[in-house]
Amino acid sequence: MFFPREMTEVELIIPSKDLVAVARVLSGQGVFHQLDSTYLGMESSGPSAWQDKAGNYSALERRVQGMMQTLGLPEMYPAHAKPGSLIDYDTLRAAVDRVDEDVKGTGDQLIGEKKRLELLESQLRQLEPIAHVNYEVGALRKSSYMHSILGVIEADKVERLETSLGRVPHVFFTLKDDPKKPIVWLLGPRSASDNLERAAKSAFLNPLSLPEELNGTPEQITVTLKQDAEATRQKIAELEATLSKLAGKYKDELEKLLWDVHISRVIADTIVRFGQLRRTYVVLGWVPTINLDDLRMRLKQDSPEILIEAIQTSRTGHHSGVPVALMNNKWLRPIQDLVTTFGRPSYGELDPTLLIAFSFPILYGAMFGDIGQGLVLMLVGVLAHNRIFMKGLQSLGLLLVYAGFFATVFGFLYGSIFGFEGHLIEEYLHFHFEPMWMSPLENILTILGLAIDAGIVILIFAFLLGLFNNIRSRDWAHFWFGHTGIVAICFYFCFLTVLNGLLGTTPIAPKIAAAISQLPLPFNILTPVFALGVMFNGLFRNMVEGHRPLIEGGVGMFFVTSFMDLFEGTISMLSNTLSFVRVGAFAVAHGGLSLAIFSLAGEEPDLGFWITIIIGNIFIIGFEGLIVYIQTMRLHYYEILGKFFHGGGTRFEPLVLNPSQEEA
Amino acid sequence: MASGVSGYAAISTRVRAMYADLLSPQDMVKLSDAPDVASLIAALKSTPYGKYLAGLKDNELTPRRAILQIKHKLADSYSSVVQQAPEQTRPLIRQLYRYFELGNLKAVLRSIQTVSAWNADTPAWDRVREVLFPFGVYTSIPAQAMVETGNVASAIDLLRGTPYEATISFAARRVSAEQSLFPLEVALDLEYWRKLWAEARKLAGKDREMAVKIIGSLLDMNNLMWVIRYKIYHKLSEEELINYTLPFGYRVRDEDVRAIAAGSDIAAVISRIYPNITNASSFFEDPQSGLPKLEHALKLQVMKQCNAAFVGDPFHIGIPLAYLMLSDFEVQDLIILIESKYFNLTNAEYRPLLLKTIPL
Repeated sequence: MFFPREMTEVELIIPSKDLVAVARVLSGQGVFHQLDSTYLGMESSGPSAWQDKAGNYSALERRVQGMMQTLGLPEMYPAHAKPGSLIDYDTLRAAVDRVDEDVKGTGDQLIGEKKRLELLESQLRQLEPIAHVNYEVGALRKSSYMHSILGVIEADKVERLETSLGRVPHVFFTLKDDPKKPIVWLLGPRSASDNLERAAKSAFLNPLSLPEELNGTPEQITVTLKQDAEATRQKIAELEATLSKLAGKYKDELEKLLWDVHISRVIADTIVRFGQLRRTYVVLGWVPTINLDDLRMRLKQDSPEILIEAIQTSRTGHHSGVPVALMNNKWLRPIQDLVTTFGRPSYGELDPTLLIAFSFPILYGAMFGDIGQGLVLMLVGVLAHNRIFMKGLQSLGLLLVYAGFFATVFGFLYGSIFGFEGHLIEEYLHFHFEPMWMSPLENILTILGLAIDAGIVILIFAFLLGLFNNIRSRDWAHFWFGHTGIVAICFYFCFLTVLNGLLGTTPIAPKIAAAISQLPLPFNILTPVFALGVMFNGLFRNMVEGHRPLIEGGVGMFFVTSFMDLFEGTISMLSNTLSFVRVGAFAVAHGGLSLAIFSLAGEEPDLGFWITIIIGNIFIIGFEGLIVYIQTMRLHYYEILGKFFHGGGTRFEPLVLNPSQEEA
Repeated sequence: MASGVSGYAAISTRVRAMYADLLSPQDMVKLSDAPDVASLIAALKSTPYGKYLAGLKDNELTPRRAILQIKHKLADSYSSVVQQAPEQTRPLIRQLYRYFELGNLKAVLRSIQTVSAWNADTPAWDRVREVLFPFGVYTSIPAQAMVETGNVASAIDLLRGTPYEATISFAARRVSAEQSLFPLEVALDLEYWRKLWAEARKLAGKDREMAVKIIGSLLDMNNLMWVIRYKIYHKLSEEELINYTLPFGYRVRDEDVRAIAAGSDIAAVISRIYPNITNASSFFEDPQSGLPKLEHALKLQVMKQCNAAFVGDPFHIGIPLAYLMLSDFEVQDLIILIESKYFNLTNAEYRPLLLKTIPL
């Protein structure tokens, strides 16, 4: 739970005869993260036959998907589909061709009729602006002396078109003044028809696409077009009914076909990445150690002669290539999503999901403490999680439940119910309720100071986790001289004593800083010593890691950058520490916002009062709830995770037959 | 809205630092002295382009790949400038950047037309993607899906919902009727420059003055080259020439374009607009070789305008715009260098084409 799943590197040598059987086992178990092993192959005589096969299966899969789309069927596999084996391409293609023969004709016809309807409707729209013209359209085409172009043009090209016709006799009418696509009529002598046509064409004036056979006035043509459109609509309805019948007829068969083709495609894709030797194939990949024995047994069952070599991977050291499968259960999935948004832990690294599972809701609750609003958040979360409300945000639902729970807990501690606090509870809700801890509004400075204290504890914990990760990865240079190394932590303690000196006896002075200052240590000596350590940590790291040259870019530049390192480190420590003051500030702001709602609502508990309170609470839950969420996320991403978590792990992507098996 | 000193303090400093990173004529001489492509790329690795070439293994560094990597620097320059530019100027810079997307769109459509002539063993997309500008995730065109459709009509259908939809809807009919991409490319070009000009005109004060000067200079060059090429190579009529050009610019007026369209002496028009281009008539003695020289001369005019932006008041959009254009010109120079080395051209053949002048 604290680390990604333990992984084992596996190397397989497969006899050629068992190629398909092994590929089927590897892709059917959902535990094998395949690596491209083609480079290990000896045969380099161009692309293998499996590449073509994979391409063929892929094309076939798209064809089946296309047919299902045409028939309006969802892309589903048969219920209780079991992993099958690779099926001969020709057999599958024959089955697909047979169904396609039935479906394609009707489908193509439907597409054709839909296009026709689109055209007819477009022609009807084009006729609209000239509907009132009582003149035969055909006569314009057949005119002996005049050349006429009726069409649509982009509005910003009209002026240029007129300019281009400056030396050609013509008249130009805008029949429909549209800001983007006006309908225009260009008319000139037949002797200038070439100039007119060239000008119109180059101005992208698209002539109305009325069929030659349509004659009569625009009104008469409109009647004909409407009749055609109606007939086309009927035809479309008939074709859709036919397709619906075909959908019923072929549903099961297509689902089965899709499954068979899909499995064959996945198996072929898997084999494409095998390295081909003379009579064997070599395969590399990763398997979660816990699944190794089971996979080994299944492989041996299907290929008794297979050679399996498993190489254990230590969690210590660097593991950039090891895929990372996180071990969190579904209840931690939203928290895991928060972590992976920041970065996926690398193999040897601590997975911070469990830590964040506590810290995130607690910090959220501390900023948004209210029993009523917390319960509403929980309710919304439960509804979202069960896809009753805010469908598609199922994962966020759980996060809301956790955050709402801790908001409720802090509501009890702060004594707040839907913004009612202290005497307001007694006055309007008619019962007595005291904060179990303190009301932020009445203890503003105390809560701000406590927030900083909480921040210091969290930061120290994060520093220690950083050290832990350095020890695990045997990164001694960073363990001692990293930005969260021993020297930096010691400097942070010294920094806290300085901070204590600055804040003195003010109410927001962090008590932990005061306690550290009381330790019998010579901080006035230690502070400059560790400051120098932080200042030259780059140099020390180079010494430990054996990097040469120790100093890059000259001594002067080295001192300038070292000083900037110290300056930046100190500023970061100050801002990181004080950043947590926002936890207290938001707790106070939450109470303040509630008070603002009450002042809007007035004093009389009439209907208006309650409506204002309800709307105000909705606003607080929606608006402040979101802001607090962002602030909590910010604290974690910038202040906490950055101290010990590097991420950069490769996602564990096992071969799977059914996409629903995939790890999120 | 940040403007003036407050808006430009940061970006002006940053752009000046980036400007200082542009290759000097001495750098160009050094690069030009490389005997072959491999040495040229090795020399490029010690320039600011080095980090874009560093990740590639030697066997991956084909001229085409190297050019693609070099373009990455230009793409980075654009994103850096867009992010730091004052908000009111960002639409202009984004539209300027779209020039490369427009180039990608044309390349994709052309590739679809010529795909049948290619080696069938290599997937079409693999061939195309190496010549596209690395526009990254910001692109609005589904280039790969378009290439994979295999035909222009279906590819055009995929442009629904993109900024090109409206323009293409007008030109598509001509594409299918004439079986040529020419009208589509013209329509896309005109639309692009109209929008760019409109964005420049939307600015106010010094920003507008500088944007009109720099964008206008570029537009002048394009407008002139369009009307001249369409007239000489395509033999288009006066009406078509006018419709295929734009009525605005910085020094080139609509009357100039119309005069050329109507049959006036082109060299005389050019000499009148650019008095310092003294040998204008020589460009038209053999247009095949003369027009690229004319374009080169016009590009130098734009470069001059860009370099002038760095003199005087630094708090305006002119400096970032000028820097981006100079970077683009530099990339064009490097492409010429790489291709010249690849084809073993002599110094005399390619050096006159470089914008950063190198003595022969």
